[in-house]
Amino acid sequence: MNDVMQAVGVFFSYAVLAVFAQNAVFTRGLGVSRLVQLVGDERTSSGWFALLLCVTQVLVASLAFYAGGFIAAQSNPAQLRPLVYLACVAVVSLFEFIVLWAARGKRHGGQLLRILPLAAVNSGVLGTVLVERTQSFTLEQSMGFGLGSGLGYLLAVMLVTEADRRLRSEAIPEAFRGLPITLIYIGVLALAIYGFTGHSVIL
Amino acid sequence: MKRHAAELITRDPERFFHHDRVFLNNPVVMQGMGLAPLVVLATSGQNALMLAVAVALLLTPSRMLACLLSRLFPLREEHPANAELEKKLLPRSILYSGSAAVVYLAAYPILNQLFGVSLLVLGIYLPMLVVEPLLTYRFGRVQETMKKAVSKGIRITIGYGLLLLLLGCVREWLSAGTVFGHVLSRPVLPMASMPAGGFIVLGVLCAVWRTLARKYKNYLTSEARGLMAVYRQKEGEPEDE
Repeated sequence: MNDVMQAVGVFFSYAVLAVFAQNAVFTRGLGVSRLVQLVGDERTSSGWFALLLCVTQVLVASLAFYAGGFIAAQSNPAQLRPLVYLACVAVVSLFEFIVLWAARGKRHGGQLLRILPLAAVNSGVLGTVLVERTQSFTLEQSMGFGLGSGLGYLLAVMLVTEADRRLRSEAIPEAFRGLPITLIYIGVLALAIYGFTGHSVIL
Repeated sequence: MKRHAAELITRDPERFFHHDRVFLNNPVVMQGMGLAPLVVLATSGQNALMLAVAVALLLTPSRMLACLLSRLFPLREEHPANAELEKKLLPRSILYSGSAAVVYLAAYPILNQLFGVSLLVLGIYLPMLVVEPLLTYRFGRVQETMKKAVSKGIRITIGYGLLLLLLGCVREWLSAGTVFGHVLSRPVLPMASMPAGGFIVLGVLCAVWRTLARKYKNYLTSEARGLMAVYRQKEGEPEDE
């Protein structure tokens, strides 16, 4: 019982760590290109995107945990990393695809099928897996970090979406409107997070 | 300016400018692609150079390979029906990033040979290149030809490499007062070496770049119109305007 409680505690503490102190977007810039596109895209729901991202990251974290052991035994692990972890992402996203395909007649089923490739194959997912494996996280740490990373991404999307209307203000010089001011805004938010947690990127 | 270019600009300026992936339609500045390595890693000229070489080795070959393989799941129209997207987007996205991962197998030993242990500085951002939208964005677009894949791949590589080097040098100068290790001044903005500083410096750089690009577009458009008017006068044709 004690072991289970300890594992749950580790899972949630790593999830919280990934949401705030190690936020994928603000501290590592993971998936930021997709985030910038997502904010202005009214066809893609940020909520569904984040949900698929969280599910994919939790499932990929566990698969990649075992794949990491396979890579470590090879003579050229650095070379193989992207291919093997991408294979893990492909397996998980195919599983999600089958589930969503079965439910495609239902409300939002088709939309989720169109969002899945954007949520599954991006630098947020692969980057998080690489962080987990580089830092040799245990299984529960990896899964907690994966979930937190997805939630942290949602937090970043919500913060940038909320500011998007204000960032279109005519008070902003014309040259800065759009992408430049969005990047500066993300930078300022990142600075605010450093204010609470300090900063060092572990590559 | 040649007559052919002037004709193209007067007919459809945006289409003409769209083809210039180096300055007028730089993939980073105009479309926000490939931001993660830029804001986190391009903190010095040396880092930027390593990243630029990695992108040069990966981008065009992986795009060519993906162009070949994606014919298994082609998107034939610019705006495909939802049913087609639901079926083909996922396999196409896996094919595009998978192609980049296969090319990475060959690119990594070359990079290792060129930069040795310095390559470790790139950390997770080097393998992460295989899913960068810069390399994979075509999965959601209409099927391209091999010729276009090569030509666009090379132009995007040049545009991205140029911005990487520029940002790397500017951030190195701001944060350490040096460029490629040569001392220029005292550090002006140490924060520029952090990801937050990267976002801010890149945002300012994008604003300056976009302003210059807009001015250059206006200049090209007026030049092309003037040139076409002269040609028409010479040929005795009536003017449009």
